[in-house]
Amino acid sequence: MRVPLSWLREYVDVDLPPEALADRLTLLGMEVQGIERRGADWQRIVVGELLSVEPHPGSDHLLVTTVRTGPSEPLLTILTGASNVAAGQRVPVAVPGAVLPGGRRIEVTRMVGRESQGMLCSGDELGLTTDADGILILPSEAPVGAAMADVYGDVVLDVDVKPNRGDALSLLGLAREVAAATGARVRWPEIVLSESGELAADRLTVEVADERLCPRFVARRVDGLAIGPSPLLVQARLTAAGMRPVSNVVDASNYVMLELGKPIHTFDAAAIEGGRIIVRLARPGERLETLDHVERELSPDTLLIADPRGPLGLAGVMGGAASEVSDGTTAIVIESAVFDPVSIRRTAHRYALRSEASLRFEKGQETRLARIGADRVAQLVAAWSGGRVAPGRIDTAPEEPAPTRLPFRPSRVVRLLGAPIETGEMRALLARVEIETTTARQGDEVPIAAGMPGIVLDAASAGEALVAVIPTHRRDLEIEADVAEEIARVRGYDRIPGRLPETPMPVYRPDPRRAVDAIRDTLAGRGLDEVVTHALIGPADHERLGIPTEDPATIRVTNPLSVDHSQLRRSLLPGLTRVLVENERQRREDLALFEVGHVHERAGGEPREHSMLGVLLAGDQAGAAWNQPPRPADLWDVRGLVDSLCARLGIEVRHAVRAPSIAPYEHPGRTAVLQIGGPEGRAVELGRAFEPHPRYLESIGARATHVAVALLSLEALQEALRPSHRYVPFPRVPAVERDLAIVIGERQSAGEVERVVREAAAPLLRGLRLFDLYDGAPLAPGERSLAFRLTLQAADRTMTDDEIDAAVGKVVDALAGRLGARIRS
Amino acid sequence: MDLETISARLSALQEAGLAAIAGATDPEGLETVQVAYLGRKGELKTLLGGIGALPAEDRPHVGAIGNRVREALEAALDARRLELDAAALDARLAREAVDVTLPGRPFRRGSLHPLIETNREIARVFGQFGFVVYEGPEVETDVRNFQALNIPPDHPARDLWDTLYTDMPGYLLRTHTSPGQIHVMQQAAPPIRALLPGRCFRYEAVDASHGFEFFQVEGLMVDEGTTMADLRGLLDAFAHAMFGGGRPTRFRPGYYPFTEPSVAFDVQCVICDGAGCPSCKRTGWMTILGAGMVHPVVLRNGGLDPERYQGFAFGMGTDRIAILRYGIDDIRMFIENDLRFLEQF
Repeated sequence: MRVPLSWLREYVDVDLPPEALADRLTLLGMEVQGIERRGADWQRIVVGELLSVEPHPGSDHLLVTTVRTGPSEPLLTILTGASNVAAGQRVPVAVPGAVLPGGRRIEVTRMVGRESQGMLCSGDELGLTTDADGILILPSEAPVGAAMADVYGDVVLDVDVKPNRGDALSLLGLAREVAAATGARVRWPEIVLSESGELAADRLTVEVADERLCPRFVARRVDGLAIGPSPLLVQARLTAAGMRPVSNVVDASNYVMLELGKPIHTFDAAAIEGGRIIVRLARPGERLETLDHVERELSPDTLLIADPRGPLGLAGVMGGAASEVSDGTTAIVIESAVFDPVSIRRTAHRYALRSEASLRFEKGQETRLARIGADRVAQLVAAWSGGRVAPGRIDTAPEEPAPTRLPFRPSRVVRLLGAPIETGEMRALLARVEIETTTARQGDEVPIAAGMPGIVLDAASAGEALVAVIPTHRRDLEIEADVAEEIARVRGYDRIPGRLPETPMPVYRPDPRRAVDAIRDTLAGRGLDEVVTHALIGPADHERLGIPTEDPATIRVTNPLSVDHSQLRRSLLPGLTRVLVENERQRREDLALFEVGHVHERAGGEPREHSMLGVLLAGDQAGAAWNQPPRPADLWDVRGLVDSLCARLGIEVRHAVRAPSIAPYEHPGRTAVLQIGGPEGRAVELGRAFEPHPRYLESIGARATHVAVALLSLEALQEALRPSHRYVPFPRVPAVERDLAIVIGERQSAGEVERVVREAAAPLLRGLRLFDLYDGAPLAPGERSLAFRLTLQAADRTMTDDEIDAAVGKVVDALAGRLGARIRS
Repeated sequence: MDLETISARLSALQEAGLAAIAGATDPEGLETVQVAYLGRKGELKTLLGGIGALPAEDRPHVGAIGNRVREALEAALDARRLELDAAALDARLAREAVDVTLPGRPFRRGSLHPLIETNREIARVFGQFGFVVYEGPEVETDVRNFQALNIPPDHPARDLWDTLYTDMPGYLLRTHTSPGQIHVMQQAAPPIRALLPGRCFRYEAVDASHGFEFFQVEGLMVDEGTTMADLRGLLDAFAHAMFGGGRPTRFRPGYYPFTEPSVAFDVQCVICDGAGCPSCKRTGWMTILGAGMVHPVVLRNGGLDPERYQGFAFGMGTDRIAILRYGIDDIRMFIENDLRFLEQF
């Protein structure tokens, strides 16, 4: 809410400089987010008097004026193209050397052969009003020669009023807050009406179909008015507050909305059929052209202001074009109503018409403001447009609720705040926000939470308790904790002392991030860079993974910011490859990245998210240098990385097997499924290691040709972590090494060989390392020779040559028997 | 041959041998000298072979001289060998000399993402005060994200969170980590001291200080006596840990439907130290988190009796804390993953 201080001062005295006032309001919970000095950018712009106005001899649209800007100032000759000026008027004058808002400099110029010694300004050029059509005509009492900034400058505070404080979305509401902060008194505007003519009720009726949706409707009528501009002061205030001045009638209702926080609508009385206003829900098929000249089809839960012919306006949101106050209007009907906040909010959202009015209605309205607002608008319309206020109001619910009683326990307030505040001080603090306090009675109920029985006071506890009498504008104060906040707020939050807790500590809980952090530390220690990419990706990203846009397992966002971020990722791969592509644009092509993040899917009508680890290696992995050749990333880099990570975590990668099925983004010959030992010796799938398919890399626009990826389940990793880590004694007896060159055929894999060796050599095998791989002559085509070094060791003794030979023989036999492999000597 | 002659010959042999040893320039030459003088068919053996021609009483005498010659030659050989070895090693080392100013073999540096590290640092600080980490889902129910937090459907406070909705009815992308409060209260009994870091989502256009995905850390402390003064004390301790001891802090009213009273927590601007600058909108303060005493409705929805239990909750933007800690001026850096950025962490 924008608050012009000159306007605020109508309702409360403010002695503080703007910055100090802003601080006080902020500390009271009314956060001032900006201070604007209007007029600070008017340099050398003064009030001038037009002594003469004559046509320019050489131009049919220019006028030549003589301007006085002070008793001892030389007269200025100023040319203007505006036609609304006349001798005797006072106007803003930019004298030579002046600077207008936006930095425009005014100097002596020549126009059609005549010199112009400055410029006459419009309201829009100064930002004082929004009128750009003519020169701003100042009131006749404006002091000639005075700087415009001194007369019309203002300071505007931008206050962030929180959603629970609809009452403070007004100058009067904020005046109350200023009063609470400074101890000053609030001055209500004096609302005095002089009524004349026919009774309003004789020409106007209001029927409310559903009182739940419209608990109160107050109407008034003003006749014999003339539409015109509102006074300059009003226009300037509305402009400063961020509203566009329109006409004396419309400005009056906007002025009252900002003054009291009461949104009010005015209708052209002639447009209301039979003077009958009906508040009802829309009927199927009904249409309405709203003030913004959009024809709208109305949905049946839209609350309408209607007449017997049909809709006049959307209640609380926007009026209709047909009943709009226009230049020819001579009589108006003022609508000052209270509507159901939820209904208004839904309507405003449905038609995407969120207005200053609907924002206030949806926060709830103080009932009595319906009456006060109607009177106030009638008063201002009469004053500004010369109209006559018809006697009497139409009021569907004249009875106004009394303040509510809110019992509370000062001891509970102290327990909540942790600050020793005396009861007397609490009462004084509440009085500053117009909350009186009385003693509580036995049987009073302290409200703890909405929808829950309160604490009923017995004789003893009633003696300690108080009742806060909540003024009707404070609809936000409902429970005991609300009173505690009000006390703390007025007293100053900063006076709550800080201390460290002395309450009992919770029981120990292992940190669920510990394993993740160990993984992150390990990978960063291995030289990888951690990235964080979007969880929301586009259908095109999924399509490239082979997941159709409409895949039923994908969770979609129904109101995405853009289609590129409209689906929850099913995989970390698109994010990682995007990082690759973006960095390639910066000519960074050698990368080693990882990300820990969630992937999402829909399963059985429920959202499921899985914690994943993604690794992407691209380009040179060796770190090519003067003494070291580059080594382009391949499957073995990422396999080795995963092996070492698992080893670090105490997890053994059991198997890598050739993937039984290949995704479209995977290299069909370079994709491995990694398995680790799970609970009870089961093999658990850890994830996949692969080189991306060249077509996939091409589709994402990557230049890289050597990329290797691992996508691993963090859940599988975490499950496999050993709950306790125990030291295993190692044998002190010598170990022996034996090398075996094992020849296998096309159909066998290294993984199978390794598995057979491990099984056959257990329990003596302490190490197994593939140190050479050979194919070619003299081997037959398709044959490969795998050279393994076996480290053998008994737990308790030095093995004899016979024992060693027996163990190796067992391995050789198993290889021959199970794989048909032979030993190359 | 007589004693005198043989003595003279031995003496000459020694002279000649020593000279040959001294003249050897490499281990092979030295070996040749050794064989020539001391070998089985060497000169010394040959000379002493003639000892039988001497009178018996002279033989021991000649033998003794012969041994002295042998010892002298052997000592000279050993000394010369050491000399030659040392020289050979020196020569090798000289050949092995390199330009030590050449760069070392490169190792990848590796880095940890500043957002995740900031989360870890926050958890480390609160961990000192007994806070433990919990996790909640990114796809949440409307019930937990809003309704259980005292934000019914059509409540004006919903405007505080521009929400991204999913095509699964009742599910949305969590707009904050606060639904974690409900998760924790439902799975742990007081005393509770919990932290919930996580990714959040909002319908928010991207600029230097906003993104539609961001990270938050929620804190929750509930027991029978936790007060606003405890909240203040812990937040002060946190602010001092993150931004330096002694940095002034400010506690002021805020608004959240799920806390009452609600708090906004400011620290003195870390850019201008309170003098006022564009970063702090000239106020000298920067808001780093929102907090408050858990609303009784939220305690009840978490299954706790709000008359017996009370406590506080806070929520902070990890991005914001990281920006202030590292002096980053654009939060888009966090998700762009430009290596020139990542490599600084």
